[in-house]
Amino acid sequence: MNSLPSIAIPGQRLGSTATYFAGPGTHVHQNAVYASIAGPVVTDAAPPQTRSRPTLRVSRVTDTKHPSPSAATATTYKSKPRYNTLPAVDSIVLARVTRVQKRQATVSILVVLDESTSQPLDQSGAISDKEYMASLLTSAANPENHSNSDDLRFQALIRKEDVRAVEKDHVVMDEMFRVGDIVRGSVISLGDQSFYYITTARNDLGVFMARSEAGNMMFPVTWKEMRDPITGISESRKVARPF
Amino acid sequence: MASSATTGNPMPPSLSMPPSQFARLQPHAYLRAHLSPPSSDQPSVRANGRATSQFRVTSVNTGSLTHANGSAVVRIGDTTAVCGVRAELLHTSDISSWGVSQAPSKQNPTNTNEAKDSKSEDEDDQGQIQDLNLLVPNLSLSTGCAPGLTPGAPPSALAQSLSHQILSLLHTTNLVRADDLRIWYQPPNFDSEEFHNPGEGMEVDTEQSGGPEREIKAFWVLYIDIMILSMAGNAFDAAWASVLAALRDTKLPNAWWDDDNETILCSDDFAEAHRLTLRGLPIASSFCCFEGDAAAGWRANVIPDAEEQKKKKGSQQKWILADPDGYEEGLTQERACVVVDKENGKTIIVKMEKHGGWNVDSDDLRKLVDVSSQRWDDLKQALEQC
Amino acid sequence: MADRRRINGPPAGTRPPVYASLKESKTGVSERTLRQRQPTELRKFYLKTGMIPTASGSSYLEFAPSAALAAARSNPKSLIPPSSALKVACTVHGPKPLPRSVPFSPNLLLTTHVKFAPFAARKRKGHVRDTTERDLGVHLETALRGAIIAERWPKSGLDITLTIVEAEDDRWWGDAPDSHDASWGMLNVLAGCITAASAAIADAHIDCLDLVSGGVAALVSDDASTAPRLVLDVDPAEHRSIQSACVVAYMPARDEITELWLKGDSSRAALEKSDGRTGHEALIDGAVDAARGANTILTDAVRESIARSFAQV
Repeated sequence: MNSLPSIAIPGQRLGSTATYFAGPGTHVHQNAVYASIAGPVVTDAAPPQTRSRPTLRVSRVTDTKHPSPSAATATTYKSKPRYNTLPAVDSIVLARVTRVQKRQATVSILVVLDESTSQPLDQSGAISDKEYMASLLTSAANPENHSNSDDLRFQALIRKEDVRAVEKDHVVMDEMFRVGDIVRGSVISLGDQSFYYITTARNDLGVFMARSEAGNMMFPVTWKEMRDPITGISESRKVARPF
Repeated sequence: MASSATTGNPMPPSLSMPPSQFARLQPHAYLRAHLSPPSSDQPSVRANGRATSQFRVTSVNTGSLTHANGSAVVRIGDTTAVCGVRAELLHTSDISSWGVSQAPSKQNPTNTNEAKDSKSEDEDDQGQIQDLNLLVPNLSLSTGCAPGLTPGAPPSALAQSLSHQILSLLHTTNLVRADDLRIWYQPPNFDSEEFHNPGEGMEVDTEQSGGPEREIKAFWVLYIDIMILSMAGNAFDAAWASVLAALRDTKLPNAWWDDDNETILCSDDFAEAHRLTLRGLPIASSFCCFEGDAAAGWRANVIPDAEEQKKKKGSQQKWILADPDGYEEGLTQERACVVVDKENGKTIIVKMEKHGGWNVDSDDLRKLVDVSSQRWDDLKQALEQC
Repeated sequence: MADRRRINGPPAGTRPPVYASLKESKTGVSERTLRQRQPTELRKFYLKTGMIPTASGSSYLEFAPSAALAAARSNPKSLIPPSSALKVACTVHGPKPLPRSVPFSPNLLLTTHVKFAPFAARKRKGHVRDTTERDLGVHLETALRGAIIAERWPKSGLDITLTIVEAEDDRWWGDAPDSHDASWGMLNVLAGCITAASAAIADAHIDCLDLVSGGVAALVSDDASTAPRLVLDVDPAEHRSIQSACVVAYMPARDEITELWLKGDSSRAALEKSDGRTGHEALIDGAVDAARGANTILTDAVRESIARSFAQV
């Protein structure tokens, strides 16, 4: 077995399909695993009891300071984070509410969280996050960061029946979301040509950042109520459980 | 979970997520958190690490394009502008109104040689350059320089406005002398002996030869094309600096009217070509004003409590940021642009523009002029190094 | 019809300058510099990725100036440049949502735009895309589509924009415009665009089968008596006449050609007797060899960009 390169570039042969499974960032051609993106090569060992082949993948993340593969991926962010994660089924996304209708709410996806970004932050994470920030700031010319550039973001719908798991029949959309709220949701389907479908029917999903009518950031009070710390007035939302 | 939440103080969301996510979800709060100094005696630092009046590193490179009469690449941080100046000829015979408008040059044919800086000549200059469209700047953003701008589409509103700002600044600063663009012809004097060849036509002193009056046969038209290759905020400063550097680099070939061919001919001899003699060095500095409370503007009208309003206005926080990057531009409405030149160490304000809000007052503008004059020194050095 | 969205010059239009040295006898005109390189020797080029941080991926490619151009730059004598050196900036935006008008697509939809800067060539170019630019865009799209693994990016689009800051010459500037027929410079521009775009796509971390690079070969005849010979990476300014030329987009790992464009008459090639190939076969092989050469620089640039992003962390 020939040794694996530490960094691969597209079209580089990494190994035979007899020894490896092809993971993300690779493709198979004539019984061999080839890299399809440029980046560090990572081998994920198969679970010992299955006695299966290890999986080869080319990582999109750029941190290799941590030798153990799990730590390396858990605390880092992509060097080009802007577009490279498409929402997929079961992805957790952070999205801004852009429209609330009787039967559905329209949201614009701001961030697709993968397992790496949803992990709690530790020391090394903060370091690599600085790099992420640098790219975000320079990129920001980028109407992406303007609140009115929704054409550049993936759009999604939260249907009335996907808002919460209980009392589905009593959902009033106006009392669940307001335009401008930031929602944590989970993708349930790729949907049609223009919208993904997402659900908030879990305790950890729902509104997690919202401003009151007076314009102040609110804090969660119950699973269906948030409060303005200055005016003391409560507003109803489908609230995500805070960490 | 409800009980844990009710206990109390709203936890700032920044603690539960990495700053990059916070920057994306709550950009305004993120930038404000950065600008608010931890203690009152410390200066504000922007999210990009710069001080409020600090510009990004600027580099200028000229003459790298093969097919332009003058060219420059200017980088201000991550914003890149490429400018190419191309000179083409406008024959006076092609100008429909030429017979009428040529009057001034006929009246005082010697004036241009004697009093280059006289006021009448300045006005004449401006008129001719403007009336005949001798300077043609066009800025293009359709280069994929930012994700929101579709390539192949007609110029966006931003591109059109930047092109016009550059055009009007070229006109108001009188940067280019009309005389550099004129191609004169001295018709042969058949009374006296024919001592000059057509190539020397423009050097001949008309008064001495006393023959037919010399006339303008053509003008150079300068096509000034600016491509913004990378757009990371403050496109105007970069575009203007690139225009300035490219014009300073521009060489026009020696050209004369050839009576036999009835056309203008040029010499390709590098030694005969002349550079433009520009008037001054006007340098643009742009700023934006970030308001600490984005909603303050409209809420002032909603809450009728005058006392509170006054207090609010006093505590209303604002930061004037020099050379904003794209992130900051996206979060601010109010813009200011100051164009200054320096003559014998004295700062001259060439243009001052401010729009989009009422937070920047006259005191602030005075400070901005000082900052701009400092910027002038820095950019002048960059322009002269290349 | 004046374009109201742009600043227009004088309404009557302007004329490009005419140089007296061209009008008069040819004696004053400097001779063209003939090719100094070996027939199989490629021009050097500079390629760097990630220079435009506002894009998901970007690259900049610049050909080394020819000997004549380098000499003219360091010691300028004439205002007429002897040749031209390609300069291309490429940006990649995406994957991003498709516009609402576009129907569902399970694959990544590729859009390519090629635009010349107005000052890119000897003749001033307009701001509106002309047919050559559209044509180049289509050829480029074909070249790249074969390399991208499009099904990994459902219902999203990728915009690839190339700005030609400086183009290639179609012929030596002193030759009359009609002495050769085709716009040979376009082939060099396309080859450069393919290589630059491939680097930018790799920089954007879009899944590809392989890095795809462009290469050009041509049959040239420098004097009328001999049969045209094969040269790689032709600079049209260095030859009296180009009979035929070919550009390929080539993926070396799979030995696959994703785009092929052959122009002119390739029947009269001067090949060795033992060589059983026909003219166009030799031409395509030559272009593939040129693309292999370009691929080494492309590979280095992509490796370097990955190494750079490692160093930053």
